[in-house]
Amino acid sequence: MAYPFVHPDETRVLSKHFGEPEARTLAGWEARGGYQALRKAVEMGPAEIVSEVKDSGLRGRGGAGFPTGVKWSFMPQASGKPHYLLCNADESEPGTFKDRELIRWTPHQLIEGCLIGARAINVQHVYIYNRGEFFETTQILARAIEEAYEAGYIGKDILGSGVDIDITLHMGAGAYICGEETGLMNSLEGRRGEPRLKPPFPAAVGAFGRPTTINNVETLCAVPHIVTHGGEWYRQWGTEKSPGTKLFCVSGHVRKPGNYEVPLGFNFREFIYEMCGGPPEGRALKAVIPGGSSVPILRPEEIDIGMDYEAMAAAGTMLGCGSVIVMDETTDIVKQVRRMSDFYTHESCGQCTPCREGTAWASRILKRIEDGWGSEEDLDTLLELSENMAGKTICTFSDAAAAPIVSSVQKFRDDYLALIRRGENLAASA
Amino acid sequence: MPDSKKNPGFAGITGDFKVTEAEIRGTEYVGVRAVDGGHASVSGTLPFQVASRGASDQPLFEGAHGERLEKILSRYEDPQGALLPALHLAHEIRGHLSPEAMDAVAERLGLSPAYVRGVASFYTMYNLQPLGRYLIQVCTNISCNLCGGDEVMRAFLKHTGIEPGEVSEDGLWTVIEVECLAACGFPTAVQINERYFENVRPEDVPAILDRLRKEAPEMGAPAAPTGSES
Ligand SMILES: Cc1cc2nc3c(=O)[nH]c(=O)nc-3n(C[C@H](O)[C@H](O)[C@H](O)COP(=O)(O)O)c2cc1C
Repeated sequence: MAYPFVHPDETRVLSKHFGEPEARTLAGWEARGGYQALRKAVEMGPAEIVSEVKDSGLRGRGGAGFPTGVKWSFMPQASGKPHYLLCNADESEPGTFKDRELIRWTPHQLIEGCLIGARAINVQHVYIYNRGEFFETTQILARAIEEAYEAGYIGKDILGSGVDIDITLHMGAGAYICGEETGLMNSLEGRRGEPRLKPPFPAAVGAFGRPTTINNVETLCAVPHIVTHGGEWYRQWGTEKSPGTKLFCVSGHVRKPGNYEVPLGFNFREFIYEMCGGPPEGRALKAVIPGGSSVPILRPEEIDIGMDYEAMAAAGTMLGCGSVIVMDETTDIVKQVRRMSDFYTHESCGQCTPCREGTAWASRILKRIEDGWGSEEDLDTLLELSENMAGKTICTFSDAAAAPIVSSVQKFRDDYLALIRRGENLAASA
Repeated sequence: MPDSKKNPGFAGITGDFKVTEAEIRGTEYVGVRAVDGGHASVSGTLPFQVASRGASDQPLFEGAHGERLEKILSRYEDPQGALLPALHLAHEIRGHLSPEAMDAVAERLGLSPAYVRGVASFYTMYNLQPLGRYLIQVCTNISCNLCGGDEVMRAFLKHTGIEPGEVSEDGLWTVIEVECLAACGFPTAVQINERYFENVRPEDVPAILDRLRKEAPEMGAPAAPTGSES
C-alpha cells in the first residue's frame, strides 16, 4: 500500500522519507544526506547544473511535461537586474495531492531544489507560490525556510560561495487558475490571477516584468537527486523519452488509495490492479482518468499502456500530473462529468468568452441530462460546444474543461443515452 | 474507499506506519510562531498554529501586525506584490474582509480602493462577509464525490442545522462546498478553518463537531450552548 504505507514494488526517490517526522527537520534532513547536493551545485556553477539536468531528461511534473533543463536554458545570462524562479505549489487539479505530501514530509528537499534551480539560472530570489488552503503544510515549509536561513543555506553568500539567494513563501488565496503559470505571475504581482497572452514568454518577460522560470514542486524536488548522482543515474528508470520516477496520486474507487512513486513507463493495468488493489471487492472497473480532471477518460480496455508521456498521448489522453482517478461500475459518469464541469465553471477566470460561456453552458446541459430532461441533440451540442472551447483561448484551461466532456460523450455515450431515455419514458408515463 | 479507517476524522494512519495526528500536522515542529511573522521570508504566511477566526476590532497594521506588513513589503520589488499577503493579514485580524479593511490595505500599499476590491473579489478565500467561528468546507469534487462527499456535506448541514453559507445562530458554524482540497486519497476531505480533516465519513461528523465545540471557548469564541448535543 502506498503512503501512508509503502508498497514493496515502489521506487522511492522523492518519497523515500514520507512518514518520518524527523526527516522534516533540518538536522534530520542533513542526517539523511540533505544539502550535500547544494554544496556540490554551488561548486558546479550554472552551466554545468543545467547540462546535468538536461542529460537526466527530467520533465516538468506540473502537467505539461516540458523538459526542465531545456526550459532553464531559455533564461538569459545574469543581467544585474532581478531574475525570478517561481515554484508552483498551487496544487489544485482535482485528483492531485502529491505536492502537499512532498512539502509536508520533506520541506528541505524542496528548499534544496529551489536553491539549486535558482543557482542554475542565475536567480537571486525564489518565490514559492503555495496554495492558500494549505495552511498546515505552509507552516511546515515556513519553519523549514527559517531553519535554512539560520543555517546559511539561504540568504547572502550561501555556504561561502559568494552566491546570494532569497526564498519567499507566498500564499495564494483560492483560485485554481493561479496554477497556470502566467496566472500565477499575475497573482504574485497582486493582480487578479488572469493568465497572460504568450508571447512574451516568462523567460523574457515574467513576474514583475523580469526574466522568470516556473517549475512545479515535484520537478524541483527531483533536482537535488540528479545533481548528487548525475543525469545518467536518473535515466536508470523510466523510458528513453520519459526518464525517472514520478509520484502518482491514486483516488476514487480503489482499495489502496494514496501516493505511489514508480518509474515512468510502469504498466498502468498492473499499477491499478496490483499495486493499488483494484476496485473494491466484487466490483468491476468502469473508467480511469490517468492525469487529473483535465485529461481525457480511459475505458478499462484502454489501460494496457505504460505510464509515461508518450504512451498516454498515443492512447489519446495525457499523463498530466499523474493523478489517477479510478471509477468502478457503480459510478454515474454523467454526474461526475457534470461535477467536474461545475468546477471549471466556478474556476474560469472569465477573460475569454469561449471559456466563460462554454463552461457555464456545458454545466447546464449536463445537469439537464443528469436530471432526466436531456435529449440526444444535447450530446451533439456538448460536442460542438467543446470544439469551440478548445484551442481558442489565452490559456489551456478551456481545453482542460472540454476534455472530460468530449471523452465521456464519445466513450460513455450509452450512459448519457440511458439517462435521456429514462427521462423520456418518465415524461411519457406522466 | 480505503481499507483501514481506524482513526475517524483524520487520515486513517494505522498499522506499522505509526505516526500521530500531531506528527502529520507537524505541530511540534512548527511550534507557536510569533505574531510579528518571524523571518521576513515567511512573514506573509499565517503565524499561528491554529489561527482563530479572530474578529478583533483592533486597528489594522499596528504593533506586531504593522511590523509584519513591513516585513512582507520588504520581499517584493513592487509594493503591489504585497497585496495578497496584506489582504490575508487583514482577513486574519478581522475574521473577514470588510470594506474598511480593504480600504486600509489600499491606502497602505498606495493602490486605489476599487482596484483592491477587484482583486479581493477574484479569490474565494477572501470572505467579504462575517462567517461562523468555524468555516467548514467540504470537498464534493470528483475523488471525494466518488466516495460519498455529498453525504458528508449533508451530514454537516444536518448536524449544524443550517443551509450552505449561513451562519448558525450560536455563531459557531458556516458550512460550504469547496473545490478539490488536494487530499483526494483520503476522502472525504474537509477543511475547517486552517485544519484539514480527512477520511471523513458521515458518521464521523458529530464527533468532529463536538471536538470543535470543546475547542471553541479556548479560541475566544462564544461558549458552546449547553444541552445542544445533536
Ligand atoms: C489551468 C491550469 C492549471 C494549472 N495548475 C497547475 C498547478 O496547480 N501546479 C503546477 O505545478 N502546474 C500547474 N499548471 C501548469 C503550469 O502552467 C506550468 O506548466 C508548470 O507549473 C510548469 O512547471 P513544470 O515545468 O515543472 O511542470 C497548470 C496549468 C493550467 C493550464
